[in-house]
Amino acid sequence: MLMPKRVKYRKQQRGRMKGRARRGAEVTFGDYGLQALEPCWMTSRQIEAARRAIVRHVKRRGKLWIRIFPDKPVTKKPAETRMGKGKGAVDHWAAVVKPGRIIFEISGIEESTAREAMRLAAHKLPIRTQFVMRHDLIAGSEE
Amino acid sequence: MEKIELKAEPRTSRGKQVKTLRRQGLVPAIMYGHRTDPVCLQVEAPELDRVLARAGGSRLITLTIGGSKGTHMALAREVQRDAITGSPLHVDFYEVTMTEKIRVEVPVVLVGESPVVARGEGMLLHMLDTIEIECLPGDLLDRIEVDVSGLDEFDKAIYVRDLNVPASIELVSEGDEMIVKVEPLGVEEEEVAVEAVPAEVEVITERKAKKEVEQA
Repeated sequence: MLMPKRVKYRKQQRGRMKGRARRGAEVTFGDYGLQALEPCWMTSRQIEAARRAIVRHVKRRGKLWIRIFPDKPVTKKPAETRMGKGKGAVDHWAAVVKPGRIIFEISGIEESTAREAMRLAAHKLPIRTQFVMRHDLIAGSEE
Repeated sequence: MEKIELKAEPRTSRGKQVKTLRRQGLVPAIMYGHRTDPVCLQVEAPELDRVLARAGGSRLITLTIGGSKGTHMALAREVQRDAITGSPLHVDFYEVTMTEKIRVEVPVVLVGESPVVARGEGMLLHMLDTIEIECLPGDLLDRIEVDVSGLDEFDKAIYVRDLNVPASIELVSEGDEMIVKVEPLGVEEEEVAVEAVPAEVEVITERKAKKEVEQA
């Protein structure tokens, strides 16, 4: 599962998830992508589950890019512990995802296969998503 | 090539006021160019959508501005879009002078099918989406077609220097840049998930503190 190799500080404050994604909101590497429509903390497990769903569906074809990285440590206090005594231990890692963010990109496969792979992946994620294609800059492509 | 026309009106609302324009179904735009002063414009969203779909970023648009005589030949240089809906938020039009050379990014379109891909043994890696060219506005290409049917072996590639473009067009992109390549299918094995232990992550600040203690 994805997690940082080393970090500057062991624990982080929660922060806020206001607004829309400013960066990483366009399909840049592949031909098709999966875009977040809601904000969330996406855990490394959810990302891995979705990645597996895609890889399993496309088999050995295509190339996949994961455009988010879980670099936020999420802490948790042990069960049945009284409040206080400091912040809990790091439990897992999450990526802060804002609406508009591209989560996965894929290329080298047909659109129908990509759509189905992204549909299967979306079921593993905690938010609503949409299938997107690279913005067509080619003149006359929609004539 | 048919003419693409767009009607625009001069715009007085600036800054955050353009939010009102967008609510009215108008898109703020600007037109600038070499030796011409910038002009703030507004265009109707549905018409702009149609024009952008036809013109892309590499076909000339004939702009008619209300209240002024004559037309302006321009390129849609930069289109800001809403991240989720994809609708245009703002457009930059670059007014061209027909006698002056310009640099434009032209999209690359792959045509044909590589025999390796057809056999299901490899996949095409499209590395370069656009190529920068320099030419007179009248000689502009709306796309550069690259035939990939010659890619019949793994690791064969097509570079910018391999392109055949008309003599009136100069390629600005580096000749060594790879456009497309055939790669063997990657074996993406389904490895058994290894549970990550968050405590194993190295903390840089702690390492520094330890060193300082040891040195003292």
